[in-house]
Amino acid sequence: MLYSIFHLGNNLIGVPIYTILEIVRSSKFHPVRGASEVIDGLINLRGKVVTVINTGIAFETHKVLISDESRIYIFKNNAELKELTDIDSDEDMSPDNIGLHVEKIEGVINVDKEELQPVPTNMAHPFYQHVVRRGEDFIIILKPSKAIILNSTETVKP
Amino acid sequence: MKQAQDIMFNIYNPVITYEHRAAYDMIVSQLQEIFPICNQGKCKALEVTDDPQKQKQINDLMEKVEFFSDSLINITKVFFDQLYRAKEGSSESISYSMAKIKIDMMERSLLERTCDVRWWALEKAFWQCIEVSNAAHDNKEGKSKTAGKTTQHSTHQQAIDLACTRLEDIRSSYTLYRDLVIVNAQGTVVASSNVDRKHLTLGLDVSDEAWFQRGLQTKDGTDYHVQDIAISKLEDQASLIYATAIRANGDENGEVIGVMGVLFDFQGECQIILDDYLPKGSEGDILDGWFSFFTNRQGKAICSSDQYFIPFGASPELPRSHRHLSKPGESQVSTGIFFGTRSLLVSYHSAGFNEYEGLGWTSHLVLPITAIFERVSDSKVFGITPKELMSSSLIPEQNRQTYQEIQRNKGDIQLISINGIVLATDLGKAGKSFMPIFDQITETGSSTTGKMELLLSEMSADMLQQNLQALTNLSQQAIELIDRNLFERAADVRWWSTDHVLWECLQSKDKKHLDTINKRLQIINASYTMYRDLVVADASGRIVANSKVENRDKLDGMSVADQYWFRQGMQMSKLVQFAAQDVCDSELENENTSLIYCSAVLENGQRSGKPVGVLGIMFDWENQAKPILADCLPRINNEVAHGGAAFYVNRERMVIATTDDTHFPINRVVPIPPENVNLKDGQTASGIFSANGRKYIIGSSGSSGYREYKGLGWTAHVVRAID
Repeated sequence: MLYSIFHLGNNLIGVPIYTILEIVRSSKFHPVRGASEVIDGLINLRGKVVTVINTGIAFETHKVLISDESRIYIFKNNAELKELTDIDSDEDMSPDNIGLHVEKIEGVINVDKEELQPVPTNMAHPFYQHVVRRGEDFIIILKPSKAIILNSTETVKP
Repeated sequence: MKQAQDIMFNIYNPVITYEHRAAYDMIVSQLQEIFPICNQGKCKALEVTDDPQKQKQINDLMEKVEFFSDSLINITKVFFDQLYRAKEGSSESISYSMAKIKIDMMERSLLERTCDVRWWALEKAFWQCIEVSNAAHDNKEGKSKTAGKTTQHSTHQQAIDLACTRLEDIRSSYTLYRDLVIVNAQGTVVASSNVDRKHLTLGLDVSDEAWFQRGLQTKDGTDYHVQDIAISKLEDQASLIYATAIRANGDENGEVIGVMGVLFDFQGECQIILDDYLPKGSEGDILDGWFSFFTNRQGKAICSSDQYFIPFGASPELPRSHRHLSKPGESQVSTGIFFGTRSLLVSYHSAGFNEYEGLGWTSHLVLPITAIFERVSDSKVFGITPKELMSSSLIPEQNRQTYQEIQRNKGDIQLISINGIVLATDLGKAGKSFMPIFDQITETGSSTTGKMELLLSEMSADMLQQNLQALTNLSQQAIELIDRNLFERAADVRWWSTDHVLWECLQSKDKKHLDTINKRLQIINASYTMYRDLVVADASGRIVANSKVENRDKLDGMSVADQYWFRQGMQMSKLVQFAAQDVCDSELENENTSLIYCSAVLENGQRSGKPVGVLGIMFDWENQAKPILADCLPRINNEVAHGGAAFYVNRERMVIATTDDTHFPINRVVPIPPENVNLKDGQTASGIFSANGRKYIIGSSGSSGYREYKGLGWTAHVVRAID
């Protein structure tokens, strides 16, 4: 399966490609009055209103700021995910499209099922699904359906 | 962003290095390969899906990739163009300053010569010698019948001997003269300083030489004539002669009775100046293709760094625009063939220095074009990342924009590629055939932009090295100018201390004679602009005379017995000795900093003997040092570079003169790297340091002194802020 990689502080995080609708450059957000700090705001993606979550705040590192390198993962909503015929997914996405604002993205990696390892207990986190080893690096595989519910909750602590 | 039509870059230009040509070819060919891949993607979209929306999405992505590839090809050309232009611009600017530095240094020295000749011509021994000589001449003609021939001959010889002795004393104090001559009104040399050539020069008739004729016509003691390099009977090489009239009784407005001519060691001085700053090989020889030379008003070479290619009197093959510079400060930079090599030609027409207008000389610097573009071999690590360097003020704005554009395009290609993979995944099994296409796009995008980033980091490292070299050259200029200036002070104090008024009055102990010293010191100081006061202390260390009337009450009788300069002076026993007290706060004057030169006044004005007192001269340090430093500031288009400053530091690492009283004030220790301060005898260093909350690049040079002046262990520093 393919995963798109992004940076979160010193960690590399992988997101399953099939859950992504599109990746866009981050630009100005429309603020949402009264929303939690973890919400950067709303963006308009070709007529769709997308709520964007700041991964830096969500994972308690440092707030991701808009820069030349920052990007937004727009995740498919439930309906869009169900349209995929060849994918056997257990992800239960949001009814709306949700965005994840990240500092910097890397390339795409192909991971075989056998390579997916459980998250070590000392690293356990509600959003983490697996860990994959790539050379000297460990890549944490994110469970997007967990992460995107942040749009309606407070910051989740590990 | 620069438009494509403005681009001058041509990959076939011979100045393009092999490595750069290879990099350019690789980037462009890789980017060109993307177009067929995109076409393949568009065709595949029709094959794998019937959904028009999906087909359009894939088509849009491919077109975006084509757009960015096309844009990157253009940026590559712009980028290479900027890379070469930046190097060219930077080299032109450094070469211009180098050509200017050289002629400025010479003109500053020549200004001192005009002061020297005017002052020396008032010397009693010289006008007396001419009067005796003229009387002897009249006798010969049968005009005088009063004195006996033997007595006359003896008086005549004594006067000549004394004049020669005084000329020799001058020459041993001011070692940059080859000879000094006294000529009577008929044009006969009656005294000369050069012992080795005396048998050739004494008695010579120079009445037909222009310098003598123009010297006779000088209107008063403030006037002088300088004859451009020409052949004179006095020497067997071309001479630069300063001349002024010698007047009856040493009166500045008196009757003209003869001429004093001083022959400056032009060739020796020029050789030092012209060879300076030129790159040298391991054997110490100047590298091939590099030339530095001066031409006169007629465009003839008067001195060059390579006598074989550009001998004296030759007309170097320069373009007309370089030969015809005539306005002070006018300059010309161009490229052309010089002795078979494509070269950068830089010419700067002298503006003289202060009141000395100069002789209309032009300084030329020639270097091979390839030298501009060659990579800096010993690129040092200064603890600055390429990214920091790329965003520093050292890199021209347009280059920084190109860097950002490359970064943006790199990001865009990556984004398109991943979105393409997302799209292909959505197509299920059918979409798998798109994977190699997007992989290829990603690979090409990062490979080409990565290569360009490498070249940009190479360019920024080169720019850093070039700027550091420019600052080092400026610091070298700053230390050399002050060393040369202080050499002149050392020469002044040695010569003045031999003045007969000083030793006669100090030995007589008669109070009324002391006033004679005061007057003499006043006259000397009035002739020179660079001294604040001149003081004479007797052997007990009591000040007995000074030049500045306003200070007299305060200084009269003051004891300086325990002061460094006085103690040094009293230990001297030879005419050629002198000492300097480093910049300090002296009670002799109401100034922040004083720099005192001293020399012993020797008994009976002998060349060696017992001191009867000490002459101390207070150099107008800050007012003289500051303009020198200001001339050495880093400039871009004639404006001082952002955060540019220059300062001198003494052995104790304290700032002793500065152009920036706010950030690098006097009497403070500046946190510059130790390797930039611990410099000995002409050593240089460069680097990066932080101070005042800013990051600076710095070029530093240690004093190597000049001729007899050995320096005081100072260092000169020129800095420029880079953030």
